[in-house]
This record gives sequence, structure tokens and C-alpha cells, in this order.
Amino acid sequence: FAGLSDISISQDIPVEGEITIPMTSHIREFDSSTLNESVQNTIMRDLKAVGKKFMHVLYPRKSNTLLRDWDLWGPLILCVTLALMLQRSSVDSEKDGGPQFAEVFVIVWFGAVTITLNSKLLGGNISFFQSLCVLGYCILPLTVAMLVCRLVLLAEQGPINFMVRLFVVIVMFTWSIVASTAFLADSQPPNRKALAIYPVFLFYFVISWMILTFTPQ
Amino acid sequence: MKQALVDDTEDVSLDFGNEEELAFRKARLGYGASGFFPRHPLATFFHLFFRVSAIVTYVCCDWFSRSFVGCFVTVLLLLSFDFWSVKNVTGRLLVGLRWWNHIDEDGKGRWIFEARKASPQRSVATEAEARIFWLGLVICPLIWTVFFFSTLFSLKLEWLALVIAGISLQAANLYGYILCKMGGERDIGKITASFLSQMVFQTASPRDFQKPGLKGLEIHKH
Repeated sequence: FAGLSDISISQDIPVEGEITIPMTSHIREFDSSTLNESVQNTIMRDLKAVGKKFMHVLYPRKSNTLLRDWDLWGPLILCVTLALMLQRSSVDSEKDGGPQFAEVFVIVWFGAVTITLNSKLLGGNISFFQSLCVLGYCILPLTVAMLVCRLVLLAEQGPINFMVRLFVVIVMFTWSIVASTAFLADSQPPNRKALAIYPVFLFYFVISWMILTFTPQ
Repeated sequence: MKQALVDDTEDVSLDFGNEEELAFRKARLGYGASGFFPRHPLATFFHLFFRVSAIVTYVCCDWFSRSFVGCFVTVLLLLSFDFWSVKNVTGRLLVGLRWWNHIDEDGKGRWIFEARKASPQRSVATEAEARIFWLGLVICPLIWTVFFFSTLFSLKLEWLALVIAGISLQAANLYGYILCKMGGERDIGKITASFLSQMVFQTASPRDFQKPGLKGLEIHKH
């Protein structure tokens, strides 16, 4: 054992590992409060959660508590509203905006799923539904932009009309990007932030383009 | 005289020393005409109402209005209400199960399944409710799967988005409740086999589940 006294461990060998406790989903048999609450309580609780998230989107700030409590009702409402507003009134009432309606739906949901998969593949630390939730809720500014554009389009069309709409859409587009990056950026490793944010940019750009190029007939 | 007095009360001369069976029988007889009336009629109604009306609206939308958008939005809203009510209300009230997703501090999502402790006395009403619940839960996703193939093959692709949404919402509830029921048992094959065999036995011979020995001793028939 004489040679062992010469061995020394240098200070900078990283010793790291992972201790995980396997969390299997187990059945808990007890009458917890949520099992026995009244229906009205459940409805009010969910409505308040949705409303709180809308507020968070309107005034974005870094908040972890928002992500913890995800739900997809907001995105559903926003998607349906946006799709309804993006309908063209066509002469032929047989196909009244059929393809455009389903198109918006598919673009929004498929786009959100793709971005989520992308961020997970890049090593993001966010769950699938949380990411869908954030992306869906951050469509709120663009929905407001659509509303404003439709109102502006009631007036006389022309270059001024277009400039107003362009300005509104650009402002809301920036707002959406800022809101979603406030929530999503933290979950990415630092050298991959741009790679994760770029699809979000593309997603909102496509929606903004649909809004900007919308004409009633 | 004494005989008449004994005949008036049913449990005076029933003396088998089997108190639990006696109480069970009394409870069942005590329901009387309301033995099959569900304890949560509103929940049972709404459990089936949203699902069935979503399917009916989808099938009959051409008769109501020619608007694709109106039908799409109506069916989608019905499916969403159905998802919410089955997940949050009817599962809790009818079978005492609940499932949801919980995010830990480090951002990991975890699914939590909750089950009410099964009471030893399961009345006829509770079992009827549970049967309605599970039948509604299983049959409707199958119908939507049939719609999926019919839409695909008839090339009405604009409806495909709706059918896929319907399948995913209803299958999510089905999967969640099956996991609740499984109770940590991970082998789906075993659970399905035991569930099916239980259903077969119950449908074939419901009386065999009662303890024998009290036949022919019914003094009072309600």
C-alpha cells in the first residue's frame, strides 16, 4: 500500500449524479376536499383560474405560479373566437368560411404542439401541457388585434386604413412575443434560448399575417 | 293473536345470528320502490346528455342548419362541456374517482389519481349509477372512432379536425378513469380480463352474488 499515499484527488473533478425518487402515480384512498366540494365551487375555481391567467398575459411578468396551474380553456376560447372572426362572408352560403375556420384551428393547435415538441427536444424543462397553455394564452393580444382590425375595416378602405392595422398588429405581435418569452425562456438551457424562441416567433408571425391580410370579402 | 303480531313485523322471527346479512337485506328492502332511483339524478343526466347530444348534433347537423361553422362550434362546445363535467363532477359523484395533473416545484408534471374508499354497503342505486357511468364512458369514444373512419373514407376532411378533437377529449377521460380504477395495477390485460369476467357474471346471474339462505323466508313483499 505504499503507493497509495501518493494519490490525491484534485479539487476540480466534478462529482455529480442524480437522485430520483420514482414517483409512481398511486391511488390515495381518502375523502380529500376536492372529492367532496360542491359543483359550484369547482366551476368558480376554474373560472377564476382562467381569468387570472388572462390578467397575467395582459401584464406579463416572470411568474412561476402561473405555469404550475395550467389549463387549456383559455386557448380553446381564444382559438374559437379568432377562427370565428377570421371568417370571410362569401357569396355562396353553402361553404361559408368552412375551410378557413378549420384552417385556423389546425394552424393554432398544430403549431403549438410543434413548438412544444421542439422545446422538449432541445432539453427544455417544461411539461407538454404547460407549454401548450402558455402559447395558447399568449394569443390573447392577437385576438384583440383581430377585433380592432375588424372594427377598423368597417371604415373606408385605403392606405391609412392599412397603416393603422399594420401598426396595431405589430404592437400586439410584440406583446405576444414578450408575454410568451417571459414564461417560456426560463425553462430552456441558456445556450438554446434563441433556438427555442424562434419557432414561437414564427408561430405568432403566421397568425399576425392571417390577421393582417384579412379582408371581409 | 300472537301469530298475527309476529306476522306484522318481518324481523322478529328471523334469527339466524347473521347481523350483517340482516342489515343488508333490510337496507335493500327499505328502498322499496325507489331502489333503482339514482342518488344523483342530475349528475347522471348530464353525464349522458352532453356526450349524446354532441354525437346527435354531429350526425344531424345537415338537417338543422347548412352552416359548417355553427355545427363545428356547437359540437366543440358540447364536447368541452362534456369533458369538464365528466372529469370534475360526474366521476366524483357517481363513482368517487378523480384524476388531475400536478406540477411540482421543479416543473415536473405528475398525474394524481384519487378514489373514494369503497363502502361495504353498495346499494342497487350506486351500482346502477356506476354502470351508467362506465357504459357512457366507453361507448362514446368508440362511436367517435367510427366517425373518424367514416369521415376519412368519405373525404370530408374539414370535419376531421372536429372528430379528432372529440376522440382525444373522450379518450382522455376514459384513460384517466381507467387508471384511477386500476389502483396501481399496471397490467392492463389482467385488469380488462377481470373486469369483463365480472361484468359477464353479474349480467348472467345477479342473484348469485347474494348470500344464500334467505330464500323462501320473505314475510313481507313490498
